Amino acid sequence: MSHIVTRVTTHSRKVCSLYKRSLRNLEAWYDRRYMYRYRAVLLRARFDENKDVKDMRVAQQLLDEGEKELFSLIHYQPRQFAYSPGGVAHGREVVPPDWVLDYWHPMEKAAYPEYFARREQRKKEYIEWWEKTYGKPAEPAH
Amino acid sequence: MKNKLRNRNSLAHDSLTTAPAAAAAAAVGTSRKMATLARTLHLVSRIRPSTVLSILPRAAAVGCLHTTSLQEHRGVSRVVQPAIDKTSWCSSSVRDYSSKPPLTLDLIQQRVLLVLKLYDKINPEKLSVESHFMQDLGLDSLDHVEVIMAMEDEFGFEIPDADAEKLLRPADIIRYVADKEDIYD
Repeated sequence: MSHIVTRVTTHSRKVCSLYKRSLRNLEAWYDRRYMYRYRAVLLRARFDENKDVKDMRVAQQLLDEGEKELFSLIHYQPRQFAYSPGGVAHGREVVPPDWVLDYWHPMEKAAYPEYFARREQRKKEYIEWWEKTYGKPAEPAH
Repeated sequence: MKNKLRNRNSLAHDSLTTAPAAAAAAAVGTSRKMATLARTLHLVSRIRPSTVLSILPRAAAVGCLHTTSLQEHRGVSRVVQPAIDKTSWCSSSVRDYSSKPPLTLDLIQQRVLLVLKLYDKINPEKLSVESHFMQDLGLDSLDHVEVIMAMEDEFGFEIPDADAEKLLRPADIIRYVADKEDIYD
């Protein structure tokens, strides 16, 4: 769930995000690459114009205006990467998580004795590695 | 192409529907008639696969031409466009249209470095896997956004902002892409 923003981002992060979304928006409107590049250079020049603004109030106002402008120009059907959030194939293929194997019935596990013996061995090694790297987990207080 | 296919389908359909009718007619007539009918039906069924075989390659070729000209017309679209020459990984005669090239750590590194070398604000001589975008290569944060977008286009998936701000060296990007695509050593 790394695409959900759960914390306060800095002003420069917000500007970068606005820049990226604006570029993607231009890409959605202008499908010929040379047209897109021309608009992208103009957009970059507009961002660079105000890069030395030190007054945070002015900077915040510029950012708000930028967001408003992007909202007014937003594409009605932007292109998305197929397997990324918002794409047509996002979540189409469900990959079962690894721990599902631990909940197999012992009879099912007995069908693959070699694999499950090695799996138990790997789990022990991983716990060892974890305790060596991060220390033993603290005991709960109650 | 579609018309031809449809004709072929309707022909097959006709032969299917006429077969019982012909059989009924033959039951009324003599057994000799039935034999000739059966022979002609048999002949027709013999001929059809060969005509199908002769039609299919032509139709496929036309389809190919159509799609390539369409792609040229539409310009660059946002699908995976590997920068590395394709001949190294698709030398076999089987073409999987919807599959991605098999990635290895080495191939990811080549592609990442090639994309960075082609970026006009990066000096290709100074570039290495461990060079820092801001400190060593002198990019600013907006250039970094452009680099990340180029990587998204190269590998065909979105990199969220929260992850993108940690990808400050080519090595980080290689690691990130490899983790995303489930590739280990």
